[in-house]
Amino acid sequence: MSVTAATAPNGRWLPLRFAWRELRGGLHGFYVFVACIALGSLAIAGVGSVAASLATGLARQGQVILGGDLSFTLVQREASSQELAFMQSRGSVSSAATLRAMARTAAGQATLVEMKAVDAAYPLFGNVVLDPPGPLSAALAQRDGAFGAVADPTLLTRLHLKPGARVTIGNATFEIRAALSNEPDKLAGGIGFGPRLMVSEAALRATGLLQPGSLVRWHYRLRLPANDTTDAYANAAMTQARERFPQAGWDIRTRSKASPRLERSVERFTQFLTIVGLTALLVGGVGVGNAVKSHLDRRRDVIATMKALGATGRRVFAIYLTQVLLLALVGGVIGMMLGAALPYVVSWGLGPIIPLPIEPAVHLSELALALVYGLLTALAFALWPLGRAHDVPVGALFRDAVAPQPRWPRKIYMALTAAAVVALATLAVLLAYDRRVAVIYVGTAAAVFVLLRLVAALLMFLARHAPHARSTSLRMAVANIHRPGALTPTIVLSLGLGIALLVTVIEIDGNLRQQFSAELPAKAPSFYFLDIPSGEAQRFDAFVHAQAPAAKLEEVPMLRGRIISAHGTPAENLQPKDDAWVLQGDRGLTFANEVPRGSRVVEGRWWPPDYDGPPLVSFEKHIADNLGLKLGNPVVVNVLGRNITARIANMRNVDWQSLSINFVMVFSPNSFRGAPHTRLATLTYPNGGTPAQEGALIGALAKTFPRITSVRVKEALEAIGAIVANLVLAIDGASAVTLLAAALVLGGALAAGHRHRVYDAVILKTLGATRARLIGAYAIEYLLLGAATALFGVLSGSLAGWLIVSQLMHLRFAWLPWPALAAALGAVAVTVALGLIGTFSALGQKPASVLRNL
Amino acid sequence: MTKISQAGPAIALAGVNLALGQGAARVHILKDIDLDIGTGEAVGLVGPSGSGKSTLLMVMAGLERANTGTVAVAGEDLSGFNEDALARFRGRHVGIVFQSFHLIPTMTALENVAVPLELAGLNDAQTRAREELAAVGLGDRLHHYPAQLSGGEQQRVALARALVPNPAIVVADEPTGNLDEETGQQIIELLFAGHARRGTTLVLVTHDVALAARCARVVRLRSGRIDGVSES
Repeated sequence: MSVTAATAPNGRWLPLRFAWRELRGGLHGFYVFVACIALGSLAIAGVGSVAASLATGLARQGQVILGGDLSFTLVQREASSQELAFMQSRGSVSSAATLRAMARTAAGQATLVEMKAVDAAYPLFGNVVLDPPGPLSAALAQRDGAFGAVADPTLLTRLHLKPGARVTIGNATFEIRAALSNEPDKLAGGIGFGPRLMVSEAALRATGLLQPGSLVRWHYRLRLPANDTTDAYANAAMTQARERFPQAGWDIRTRSKASPRLERSVERFTQFLTIVGLTALLVGGVGVGNAVKSHLDRRRDVIATMKALGATGRRVFAIYLTQVLLLALVGGVIGMMLGAALPYVVSWGLGPIIPLPIEPAVHLSELALALVYGLLTALAFALWPLGRAHDVPVGALFRDAVAPQPRWPRKIYMALTAAAVVALATLAVLLAYDRRVAVIYVGTAAAVFVLLRLVAALLMFLARHAPHARSTSLRMAVANIHRPGALTPTIVLSLGLGIALLVTVIEIDGNLRQQFSAELPAKAPSFYFLDIPSGEAQRFDAFVHAQAPAAKLEEVPMLRGRIISAHGTPAENLQPKDDAWVLQGDRGLTFANEVPRGSRVVEGRWWPPDYDGPPLVSFEKHIADNLGLKLGNPVVVNVLGRNITARIANMRNVDWQSLSINFVMVFSPNSFRGAPHTRLATLTYPNGGTPAQEGALIGALAKTFPRITSVRVKEALEAIGAIVANLVLAIDGASAVTLLAAALVLGGALAAGHRHRVYDAVILKTLGATRARLIGAYAIEYLLLGAATALFGVLSGSLAGWLIVSQLMHLRFAWLPWPALAAALGAVAVTVALGLIGTFSALGQKPASVLRNL
Repeated sequence: MTKISQAGPAIALAGVNLALGQGAARVHILKDIDLDIGTGEAVGLVGPSGSGKSTLLMVMAGLERANTGTVAVAGEDLSGFNEDALARFRGRHVGIVFQSFHLIPTMTALENVAVPLELAGLNDAQTRAREELAAVGLGDRLHHYPAQLSGGEQQRVALARALVPNPAIVVADEPTGNLDEETGQQIIELLFAGHARRGTTLVLVTHDVALAARCARVVRLRSGRIDGVSES
């Protein structure tokens, strides 16, 4: 029976069957491929799973984080009896007040504390855990002439206290009865500048700190009645509160959005880490492309044989595409499994360090997404070399046949490659939290790939046209860079990506650490003093001058207010691209006759010193742009219950990082005429301030002015620095995965060239080349390639670092040349070492044994 | 696709020219080849290295396309075929035996022989491959990989693979070139036995004059032209 006589439709599974036959012997030759996809998928799946676990935690523990089903926060005032009655009609209420205060020990030490005064009903949800254990009410009760207090362990360490010790706050004395091991609603409060000190409401009133203008926040938490705890009920209560008390100025939150700012921060950071993960995949993609190309090169005879036996080019493509997809699936599944485990590892290993409610779970959608990313990446990088397999000439099987392979695949394969790349980019952009950032990332990644190709082409061009070197080794090295089949493009691509990424991470890392370490900018103040009553301002000034005569004290008036509307649009309807915080709750406002130090008018004009017309406001330019505000637009702010309309007279650029006093909105002095306000001051020592100077001043001030809050800038920055250190750790972790992928790709690229190296070495040895000469030539080749690529890597990595730090993080960028150069040199050394390790084994080959098999 | 004639020669070449490469590197390999090979005939192609005999074989097998002239094989004019049509044509009508065997190293002997049948979409590929391997004396080597077989055994597998689809034409490019004399002789016996038993047209490229003499006709090539034809 001839084949023409039979027909059977079993050809559908043929690609799978043939692909499987090739793979069943193991993954030899594909380890780098699988590892690259696994690492990339791990990064995406891991970041997604941890973020989803965190989101689940935030959602499930909404009541605990918020402290209730609903929360109403008022600044500088308690709820009125009508407001309280409304809240009580919707559920059971617990109130708490928070404010910053200075705690003093008998020894004269003083420190800033974040005070929280709670009622007997606190906490409505979750548990307070004390050390030593005991009920909170007992710990806070008044006893032996002192109120009870429980404190964050940091406070005990900072003031060298033990339970039983006494501290003074304002006019009241407190006995610290226990350390506060768990405060259930701590997250909703955001980052504090000082450690927590929890007291009773009666104790707070006894301190005398509750004065008009004190920056105290009153929180009222509601537990909904047991028979109606739905989100709909909570939302209805929120709507009713807004309708019933439109002027209340309270910030209302429900348990489903317990901490929107934290959620946004988590989403933003997740996107950043996802981008790092995507970079791991892209770097891995290069490895995939190299592996597929090298595999198909090795299989040229097999492909030609299949074609000789009747396989069409399309069928050959289908067989090897199936193989690539199977391998990508293996890598993707490994990455998915490791990524799925990451939330558990993070929760178990870092849970005690990171105070976030991670609820580890397997998030199938995140894992599936990682797999899709992995498969798309494999396709984007493999379709091109796979397409070229279509046209492998059968003539390769006949030794005297001359049939060069075309350089470009057929149009259909180019189109398929483009489709996979577009799909990958679209997915990355569509799923991004901030699409603008994602688009920039996609564009940058594409540019880097193109640039690296150009760098390789330029290197090969230069090598081809380099003057004839006298040294044989140098001549061989230069020839190796440009000869047909040279490793130049693959090494430049993998090493270039690796170095660029390493330098980017180093620049971001270094800049973040530098900015949030205790290394303050020159002329940065040592202290911020908050809540200085206007009536005490003169006495305060005199006291500080006496204590620190050389230091410079700067003061500005300060009020609290919130934006009601801008350019006729109510604040809740404004949709800023960024900086939404300006619209959330109360902000500090000031008024001034002159342009504040550290800011510069860039649009409009400052008002004259004796200005007495309608209220004017100066707006920070960047934020005004985000809110869509222009010169002349009216802005309505509510200050102490009164709405004030001011027109934008000018825009300022503010140098926030100088740490001097500055405000988003500065009003003309007549805007708040007669309104009670406090003052805000900074103190700057000429020498930057020593710990002894600062310690003595803070102690003396706390004793004489118990109601004035002193924020030590160094301590505040340290608190932020600790958080930044955790973020940097996460960035480093994700980047390590990417760098590992880059190293694998480089190793894979060098290994792919090994067969040719052995051949070259054997032929050259046969012709009389010594091993030393060969090693010299290879070392020079890797060194030349490495140095040229490192130059590009340092430049592009520094540029990327600048973009991320200055344009996305809005921080000042300082180029750190030495760490970047050290990293680049390290990478070049690794390349030369890896290359020579491969070459050594090539040099060890006995010519005869190899020549017999050529 | 032009159907020429089922009753005509198995292979008919007329005015075939082939040049490869471009510009200064262009080499004119086949020049004005006119050759008819009858159905069931055995023809030996001989000539010095570089004379174009392997290239001529590739043209006959539909592996290389002539620049000018017509190539008709098994009654079909190949000049109108695209790459995929040529591949399908080979799968149906041409069996190829290479000097270097070209077995697929990741497949067993049985799978290697089944490949052309599987590519043609046949369900009984394995059964027929098994029978063909038994016919070349490798019934006990079905599940061995090429690396586990001797050179002679590998070439027998390659022969079984070429014969299993019952092709009208078998082309062999120096099939004994990589084998010792005794093993080579066994392969040649199997090749001619298959040719005699199935009535297949056989075209054989060889340097071996004695081997060529076993063919009914010997075509001598020199510098890409037919230099002479002798009948045995």
